[in-house]
Amino acid sequence: MKTVKIVKAWCAVSIIALIVAACGAAKKVADTDTKQWRYELEAVGVGVQGTYQVKVWSYSKDAGVAIEQAKKNAVHGIIFKGFAGIRGVPSQKPLVSTPSADSERKDFFEPFFADGGGYMKFVNLSNNGAIAPGDRIKIGKEYKIGVVVLVNVAALRKELENAGIVKKLGAI
Amino acid sequence: MKTTKMLLAAALTLCLSATAYSQAKKPTIMVAPSDVWCNKNGYMTAYDNQGTTVKVPSYKAALQDNADLLLVISKINELMQERGFPLKNLESSLKSLDNQAAEDAMLMSKSGAAAAESPIDKLKQVAKADIWMQMTWSINQTGPKKSITFNLQGLDAYTDKQVAGASGTGQPSFSSELPVLLEEAVLAHIDNFNAQLQSHFDDMAANGREVALRIRVWDSFDGDLESEYEGNELRNIIENWVSDNTVNKQFSTTDATEKIMLFEQVRIPLYNEKNRALDTRGWATGLQKMLKNQYQIDSKVMMKGLGQAQIVIGEK
Repeated sequence: MKTVKIVKAWCAVSIIALIVAACGAAKKVADTDTKQWRYELEAVGVGVQGTYQVKVWSYSKDAGVAIEQAKKNAVHGIIFKGFAGIRGVPSQKPLVSTPSADSERKDFFEPFFADGGGYMKFVNLSNNGAIAPGDRIKIGKEYKIGVVVLVNVAALRKELENAGIVKKLGAI
Repeated sequence: MKTTKMLLAAALTLCLSATAYSQAKKPTIMVAPSDVWCNKNGYMTAYDNQGTTVKVPSYKAALQDNADLLLVISKINELMQERGFPLKNLESSLKSLDNQAAEDAMLMSKSGAAAAESPIDKLKQVAKADIWMQMTWSINQTGPKKSITFNLQGLDAYTDKQVAGASGTGQPSFSSELPVLLEEAVLAHIDNFNAQLQSHFDDMAANGREVALRIRVWDSFDGDLESEYEGNELRNIIENWVSDNTVNKQFSTTDATEKIMLFEQVRIPLYNEKNRALDTRGWATGLQKMLKNQYQIDSKVMMKGLGQAQIVIGEK
């Protein structure tokens, strides 16, 4: 009887460990995807003063991870990628002019894009992260999920200026 | 202890003055409605110029009458200031000019002398900026839907080049009021405009300030630009000086006759040899000094803002 209990407990612990490991692996894959620019950004509307309203399409086997990664991807995209416009909303160039800034300033960007890192200060999920029915697409074994986020680009730019990554506007 | 404090204060002062010297002269920027907008909205003044009717925009009337214009200018000023490009305000500049004119009219010395003013001084008393942000907007109506087409141009006052621009049509709306649509248009376009303006500043830092220099001769001058000095024509002497004093020898001689020379796309350094900020007048004074010291030719230097200078040869 006692042995059965111990086996059950071990099974439970193993299952939890497996789930955590799977989530961790999914998160790791998502982080690699961000670094490899595997996400898409599109304009949604003109945000309120100092913000951009964009939809981020992220990929993951775990829908929850994709939603969470959307915030990181949005900030990453606005810094390094920019986004194309739609009718009524113009396209925007990336904040940094050289994509290699990512590798040149690892000291800043690695902690910045770590889980719970500095990027969190500049992004909010719009509509509490609710996903429109057409924005959750299953492609093979993974999901492609579109999340609308608001990025405080004015504050983000200031942060990058203070870190010496982008030049202060108006400086000669 | 006292000596240490004094030394620290001296070091700080030195640092501050070094920083002050290393600051390049920044162009002044002002927002104004375009001629098209003024014309469409009836803010033009017409006058007869030797039989031809000429229309000029009446900014004062537009600013006193049109609340939407004031809102757009104020929004652009606010956003530009926030992003590090402080602007001169058109309305305040016009008021300052009026006040100055009223004060000048009353200005008198104890002996009853009035302040001297040449006709050219009078002509130059207009609102000035180095870069004009010229904006135009129009309202489009499709059934009940309204949208705004917005166009913002950054124009260099001296080279006549467009150094930045942003334009487009906003999302159509059934219910939004015009001021909301205008605010949205400004918010949508200002970042792209600023990015281009910053590129212009970066280019200035790398390749020097782009300016124009005009050379003329007084009719009292004994000779012209083709007169020879030490076996070299005066215009060649001037051209050589310009070439030697531009960044990477970048300039174009647009006009060169015996009476007039025009240099455009002249790239002058932002700092002089003493590392002090340099503008076109300061730069052109170098040419004036060279003509005086080496060839005993007097000349007068006149400036127009940061980017245009005129030297009239023959006398001061």
